[in-house]
Formats: sequence, structure tokens, C-alpha cells
Amino acid sequence: MGLLYLDPSSMTVKNFLALAVLCAPAALLLTVWPAGGVEAARIDNDFFAEKLYPVLDQAQCRLCHGEKGVASTTRLEFPNEDAPPAQIMQFGLGLAKFIDPLNPQNSLLFRKPTNREQHTGGERIKRGSDEEKILLSWIGRLSELSTEERSAALASSLTHKDSAYDGVMRRLTHSQYNNTLRDLLGDQTRPANHFPPEDYMHGFKNQAEGQSVPPLLAEAYGAAAEKLARNTFRGGDRNNLVPCTPASANDAACRAKFLRGFGQRAFRRPLADEEIAQYDALFQREANENGDFLRGAQIVVEAMLQSPHFLFRMERGPDGPWYSYETTSRLSYFLWDTMPDDRLFALAEAGNLATPEQVEETTRTMLDDPRSRKSMEEFLGQWLRFDRVLSTIRDRRLYRAFSSELAAAMTEETKRLFSHLVWDDGNFMDFLKADYGFVSTDLAELYELPEPDEQFARVDFPADSGRGGVFGEAMFLTVTSKPSDTSPTERGLYVREHFLCQDVPPPPPGLNTSLPPVTDEKPMTNRERLSVHLNNESCASCHRLIDPIGFGFEHYDAIGRYRDKHNLTIYPTRDETMKGLKKEETKYELPIDASAGVTGIRDSSFSTPKELGEVLAKEPSCQKCIVRQIFRYAMGRQESAEDRATIERLYADFRDSGFRFRELIISLATSEVFRGAQSHATP
Amino acid sequence: MQLRNSLSRRSLLRGLGVAGAAVRVGLPALDAMFNSSGNAYAATSRLGSAPIESRFVLWFNGNGIIERFWIPRETGADYQITPCLTPLAPHRKDVHIITGLDSPAARLPGPGNDHHRSMSALMSGTSFTGRGSGGPSVDQVIANKIGRDSRFRSIQVGVCQESFGESVQRNMSWADRDRPLPPEMIPQRLFDRLFGTKDEHWIDRKKSVLDAVRDDASTLEGQLGQHDKARLDEYLSSVRDVERSIASLPPEYSEVVERPSEGGDLKDWPRIAKLQTDLMVHAMASGQTRVASYMLTKCQGLSRFPWLGHTAWRHHEYTHGDVETASGQRILRDINRWHVEEFAYLIAKLKSMPEGDGTLFDNTCLTYVHEHAEANAHKNSGLSLIVAGGLGGLKTGLHSRVTGTIGDLYLTIAREIFKTDVETFPTAGKKLAEIV
Repeated sequence: MGLLYLDPSSMTVKNFLALAVLCAPAALLLTVWPAGGVEAARIDNDFFAEKLYPVLDQAQCRLCHGEKGVASTTRLEFPNEDAPPAQIMQFGLGLAKFIDPLNPQNSLLFRKPTNREQHTGGERIKRGSDEEKILLSWIGRLSELSTEERSAALASSLTHKDSAYDGVMRRLTHSQYNNTLRDLLGDQTRPANHFPPEDYMHGFKNQAEGQSVPPLLAEAYGAAAEKLARNTFRGGDRNNLVPCTPASANDAACRAKFLRGFGQRAFRRPLADEEIAQYDALFQREANENGDFLRGAQIVVEAMLQSPHFLFRMERGPDGPWYSYETTSRLSYFLWDTMPDDRLFALAEAGNLATPEQVEETTRTMLDDPRSRKSMEEFLGQWLRFDRVLSTIRDRRLYRAFSSELAAAMTEETKRLFSHLVWDDGNFMDFLKADYGFVSTDLAELYELPEPDEQFARVDFPADSGRGGVFGEAMFLTVTSKPSDTSPTERGLYVREHFLCQDVPPPPPGLNTSLPPVTDEKPMTNRERLSVHLNNESCASCHRLIDPIGFGFEHYDAIGRYRDKHNLTIYPTRDETMKGLKKEETKYELPIDASAGVTGIRDSSFSTPKELGEVLAKEPSCQKCIVRQIFRYAMGRQESAEDRATIERLYADFRDSGFRFRELIISLATSEVFRGAQSHATP
Repeated sequence: MQLRNSLSRRSLLRGLGVAGAAVRVGLPALDAMFNSSGNAYAATSRLGSAPIESRFVLWFNGNGIIERFWIPRETGADYQITPCLTPLAPHRKDVHIITGLDSPAARLPGPGNDHHRSMSALMSGTSFTGRGSGGPSVDQVIANKIGRDSRFRSIQVGVCQESFGESVQRNMSWADRDRPLPPEMIPQRLFDRLFGTKDEHWIDRKKSVLDAVRDDASTLEGQLGQHDKARLDEYLSSVRDVERSIASLPPEYSEVVERPSEGGDLKDWPRIAKLQTDLMVHAMASGQTRVASYMLTKCQGLSRFPWLGHTAWRHHEYTHGDVETASGQRILRDINRWHVEEFAYLIAKLKSMPEGDGTLFDNTCLTYVHEHAEANAHKNSGLSLIVAGGLGGLKTGLHSRVTGTIGDLYLTIAREIFKTDVETFPTAGKKLAEIV
């Protein structure tokens, strides 16, 4: 791929720079270099924020060198866009690590963005431009730092506070709402299915940042609460929510028992006296007015289901009064996607969830419960975007075998492989390269395999098959295709985003991104068509990173069927039909070149899905990405710079366990970050 | 407010107010609204000299247009109507085709793809945050000025549902930065929300419940961090909006507006579009809201078009597929014409509702926008849009090529048409004299 491979974790600043110097051409023609004296004196620390940072912003460095950018594995990471000035200043000084103080012209900070040294992002700052002068001025400033200043700058940039979301309050997801109501009231109607749908953010639907409550949702909560409370008490107390037989509509003792008992289950922690008193007043008024105890209970249920204590998971941390209950809820919503059961409440009450050992024991027990399978399937479906697989369409003229049933079978196959590896404690990295699959009759036909003994039974792929792991599954091959053909670009993007946790920047604004049409004059394979991306530097800088991955799947069509040749069908346009120029479609069979590779990963050339699986299965950044994905799902947020140590620890545990997913879950559930074990002072 | 004080007690609908105080929300008087048999809106206002309310509708379509079949070649009053605009022929005196407006915020560097960026810029004049719009959308800016006395400050209505699923793709109205206001896309639910009949006992009971919810939330004061507090405040402000909208509509309403029947093809978008338009128009006619947004298709939408006979691909794919070929262009023409057809239906519906000495259309300003100009190129300069309605000196019957920004247009509408004191709008710099 021609990219200088730099593994950031294995390289010190010194030999990194040494390598940079080695690679640098001997002669440098620098037309501008800030002289000392007056010019240099004007360059103080504010110069970075005022002058250079806007330049780098304009050059869009952050798109790749951001928290999740494709270049996030290099050592350069920009602060988030809304970073406070202090952080920007720190970042500017921290760039000293890319400076060669003895020979500033050789600094990576100069050579990379100007593409003097090969830079995957190309020449972001034009050589000889005013922007380059600004960059050079700052390099000059950094190279003049004293040794102490330099180490201080490097140290502070390593511990910079990330400005990411710091809240802890998470709203029940729609799925959690449904499950919670099932467990709390015995309701099977799944009312949240009719709420305004949840939006995806950072790849998941449960991210706290995306969980706003607009009036339409508040209204839906209100209507659902009213209906649920009414149904619960229609024809008496059918679910035995009232733990006593009221002597009268106004039975104070029974009322108190109900409020404490139901309140604790609804809010997932004991209620304070003050809270009891508030709900007691509501209860009494309604019960007295109607002369009916249950009417009081009903209105309390309706109100509690709209309380922020029910709808949100409010946490006050280890210094607050309900820490063990908060831990129970965290575990329960992560592992079961629903509220805690009586056993978990009992553990919380006894304070038996305070240590990592206690949490581990509980987690292991919880993972043996079938509810955990549903929750992990939910994770899988969001991570790999099953919603898109299920809503995809295919041009029926070309893909007669495709139907919504087939799409559902595709996701089922992925689920089976996932569940097999997770719950039978296999090596999870086999998810990318297993030489077997779980297929239905339809999928067996699509894959040209013998019919399975039963639906979704395990079948081994033939030794010469290129299929293997998730990249050989019709699910992946379909969700990344367009209605009429495959899209190597989409496939490459999917691999980067979902399995390497990298965001590839979208095309720059205003660029016409449509490819030239394929015509009878020049029938082309996708590889030939996409070569236009390389003719233009603004396309090439990103497409070099994605298209070459996608080419490796070209032997599999838009529904995942093997094809020896690229079958191209060109239909007559309406014009051609009307003018009688072309009556029938023309078909071409073009040879496929499936040689492919992953820029940035050593020895990554491949030409089948299985080979890519083998490359990525042993690639640390992919292994780590799986950790990051489950972290995001479990925590309801993106990982921030402060979470790095945690991610590394989880990764080490995962690796040391032989990539047992169950151990990863346990390691995550027992981590300080998941347990909210650091006390957090409220600002 | 004078309008309401002049009405008799009986004619006011009961509503709940913020913090439990009985605030009279903007539901109109029955005798002013209905004819003597109570089964149709009255032909004329009986409110004497009281002014009739102005209304604003922001109407949106995803993906963009095919310019060669959409933009008229000539400017002025005698432009020749284009294939996409033919459904507007009966209304051409009442619409203003505006081309050439720029949406500069869509081109600022930042996260997201062209669709995300164009959507945020088009709605709010600000750049996409990576999560949502960078600021409030124009309908909300106007609603905050003119919607405060209505039962609903604004309503959001949607039709087609297929999309890539992200927030900025599914929502057009934004209360503020990253705060989407999702559209109601199911006609029966929209009906229940607007015209559901409840008795007074129900209202009292609902009030007690929401009081309890608020009291409960108040115990959290001082316990939450900054982010959590902002999120709780958002929830409570939504609860307040719900509280304000709680009202018991008299049964007369359901004689005028029929509840859409259950069943029917839920993906027959032309049918759903008309049901939603009817409900939105009735909501405005009955004074329940003055501001509405209408999202026919989603941003980067993936609708299918079986009724047009185009079923091989989906909307977004058609905009980038065979656009160079004649047949690909005709498909886009058909799709764009359908958009205009639904808009023409809205105009006709508004014109069919008598109000004062004219119709509801005379008291409305409609703004029809597309996510992009030319869809394939994701073009966001030279936008083509339509302003329609009889309100406040809107110039109509024209095609104008206008130099300016989408912000200029919004600010001109907010200030000149709705006479609000909105002072700025992102990207706005001047009044567009061409439109008013």
C-alpha cells in the first residue's frame, strides 16, 4: 500500500523522529523560515489558538486525526470541536512531540501535512502558502522550548481532560421500557413500540447524548402510563401489586406498604420519606374521592411511570445513599435489558455488590440467565445495523432470490454464529474467520451448500471456499451493497467503521460524488469504475483507505452469492427504447480482480472474505475495536480520552482469556468505570 | 389576548396551565368556530373586529430536485410552468417560485455527509453538530414568537418513514441545538392528539398526576451535575408543554374532523400525506396551533414509489443512479412532481376553509423547501423553493431569481410577514425585497 507503517504503541518519540529523519530527503528547500528576533518574539502561546488552529481546522485535520478518525491510531489526535480554549492551548504545546528541536525542518509536524513525507491525507497545507508560514512559525516556537517546558507540554497533553459527555443520567431505551413494564406490571403489550422511534448515534440507539425527551415523547409516556395503570387495575389487583388487603379505601397501613413496595420496584431503590409523603397525598385524594383503595393505587402507578426517577436512571455514585442499588440497575439493564429482579434487589439491600468480586459473581450468574442472550443480541443487531439489512431492497430484475424473508435469515445466521461463540465460550475472533456457518435452506442454496439437516444448523464450508466469518455472510455482503450491484466503497467503509472503530470523513462539501455511468461503449468492473477516485487528490486521500478493502469481496454479489465473473447488465434507457436504438438489455461478463488490502495494517493483502477475517482476527486494533463497541453499548456513550486505561485493561483481559466474549463482559461489568466506582463530585 | 377575554366563559375550553394555574390556552370559541348546526366551521368569523391569527407552515422534502424539469426558464409573472410544477397551475397566482438562494452553512467544514450538513443548514442556518442541527429551526424561531398562546406552540407532521435512521435525517424541526422535535407520522395518533375528546374529570385527574410528577422532580434540585440537570430540564419543559396542551375538546370537533380509519395501507404515502395534511389544516383552522412543519420525505430519504411505477430502487438511490440517462431523469421528474402535487393539495385544502372574509389560505404563509437544489450533486447553492399564501403582502404569481441566503428569506418572513421582533437568523444579512 506504500504507507509508512507506524505502530504508535511500540515506538518512542525518539525513534519515531529518527525514523522520520531517515525517511526525509536530504535536501530541503525552505523558502521561508521565521527568523529570530522581532518576528519570533511575537509568537507566544496564543499564536497557536489564534493563528494556526484555524488553519488546521480549515485543512480538516480533525476529520482523520479526531477521536474516532481513520488516523486515530497514529499519535496525533485533535481535541473535539467544542474543546475549551485551555485544551486547545495544551494541544498546541503538545504538538512538541512531533518536533525535531535540533532540526525543525525535519519535524513531522512540518513534513506530514505538507505531504513532504508521505501522508495518507495528502497535501493538506499547500507548500509555499501563507498557511505553511503560520505552521512554520509555530514549529519555530516549539523548537525553542526549553527541555523543562517541552516535557511539561508533553506531559500535560497526555492527561488532557476530554470535554466529552460527563453525565450519568440515562433514559430507559424503548426496549428497556417495554421489558421493564413487563417485569413491573406483567404487561405484554410493548407500548414503546408506538413511541417516536429512537435515533442512532455513535452507532447505537442507547447513547445518552441522543436520548432527548421532546414533548411528543413526554406525551407518549403520559398516555402509556395512563393506559398501563388502568389495565393493571381493571377488574381488581390482578398482578398483586398491593401486598395487603385494605380494610377501607383509606387504609393507611396498607397504603404505606404499597407505596414502599411498588415505589422501590419502580424507582429501583427505596423511596425517601419525603417522596412517600408526596405520593401518599396523591393516593389519598384519589382513593377518597372514589371510595376505592385501588383507584388510589392506580393513580400512583400512573404518576410514578412518568417520574424522572422511573424514566431515567438517576445516579448519585458511591457517595450517594443508593450506590448498591445503582450498581444493580447498571448490571440489570446492561446484561438483561430490564429492571432488576427480587434476587438482585436483595443483594443491593444487603450491600453485597460493593466489591469487584461480588459484582463478578453476580455477573456470572446473570449471564447464565436466558435474558442475557436477548440483551447481547440487541447489542449485535445495533452494532452491525440489522435494521438496515431488514429494510434493504434489491432490483428484482437482477436478484430474484432476494426477499424480506431472506434478509431475516441473513441476520439470523449472524446471530447464530455470534451466540455460538459467546455462549459456548469460543474464541470470539473466530467471528471474523470461522470456517463454518449456520444456514437455512435458502441460505444454503445461495451459498451453494448442501441442504442443512435443520434450519440454521451448523455446516462446514468447503476447504476451497472463500467464505468464512462475518465478512463471508450474506448479511454483511448485502447491507453494504446497492440495489443493483455491490459497492466496494460501502464494504470498505463498513469494515473501517464497525470493525476498526474508525470514522472515514465524508466527501468534502459540494463535491459531485457520482461515478460515471457504465455504458455499452465501455463496460467496466467496479474496480475500473472506482479508479476515478484516485484521479482527484481530494477523493483519493480517503478512498485509498476504503475502496481497496472492498475490492476483496468482489466475487460476492449484492446478496452475497458467489460470482466468478462480474455480470454486468445494461438496460436500454427509455430514450433508446423509444427511438428503437436498443431493444434488449446487454450483458457482459468481466473478469474480477479481487486483490485487496487494508492501508495501515501490515501484511494485510487478501482476496477473499475469509482471508480478511484472518488478517483482522489477529489485528490488535480490530480486537480493541470490539472492546470499544461493547463499551459504548454498555456505557451509553463514546469512550473518551480518560477511558483509555480502562479500554486497555479490558482489552488485556479479553486477550488473556483467549478472546472469550463472556470474560470481556465480566471484565467490563467489574470495571471501575462501569460500576461508577470513582466518586464524582457534582459541579 | 384581548380576543379571548372578550369571549364568554362558556365558549372557552378548559385547559391546564403551567404550574397548575388555569391558563386559557388558545382554543377558539365554539360559536365562532362552527355553524349553527355545529357540524362545520363557520363561514365567517363572528368575532367582530378581532384580528384573525396568522399561520406558518414549513414544508420539507428530502434529497433534492432535478433542476432542468423544475426551474422555470423565464422569470416574472409570465414564466412557463415546468413539468415538476404543473400541479401548481391552478394556484399559480398564489405561489412565488424562488430560485437562487444560497445555504452557505452547508459548506462549512465539519462532521457529517452532505445530507447531514445541508439539512442542518437548511433548517437552522447552522452547521451540523455531528448529532443534530446546530440551532433552532426557523419554524421554532417563529413559533416561539407567535405560538405561545396556542394549545400547541407548534406541531410536527410527517409522512414517509424510510430513512437511514439518524436524528438529523428523521427530524426537520429543532427546538434548539441537538434537540429534535420528531414528527407524528401516524394519522390516527395525530388525530387523537389534536381532536381526542376527553371529559372534565379526566382533565382534573391528569392535572393531579402531572403535579405529582413535577413535585417529584423538584426533589432532585441541587443533586444533579450540569449535563443531567439540562436533560432533566428538557424533560420537565416537555411535561409543561404536554400540560398546556391538555384540554377537552367538545364533541363538535369530531363532527367536523373525522378520525382516520384504522387499517389501509400504512405505506401508501400519497394517502397518508393527504390524511396528514387534512389534520394539520384542521388543527390550524380550529386555532390549536399557528405553526406547523410538514416532512413529506426524510432527509436522504429512502422512500419507494410503487404508485409512480418506480420500484427498482429507492428515493436516494434514484437521485444518484442513472441520473445521466433520460429515463433516470424522468424518474426524478415524476418523484419531484409528486412532491409538488402533495403541496398543491395542501394549498387547495387551505383554500377550502373559509375564514373571515376569505379563506385560511389568505392567513397563511407556506414555505416549501428541498434538502438540496440538484439532488445528484448535493447542491446547496441556488436552492429552489416556493413561498405561498395570502398573508401580509407576500408577492405571488411570480418566478424570481433571488440573490441572498436562506437565512435572509427566513428573517424576512419572520419580520415582515409575521411582524415579529426576531432580530437575526444565522446567515441572514438583508431583507429580501423580492418576496414581500
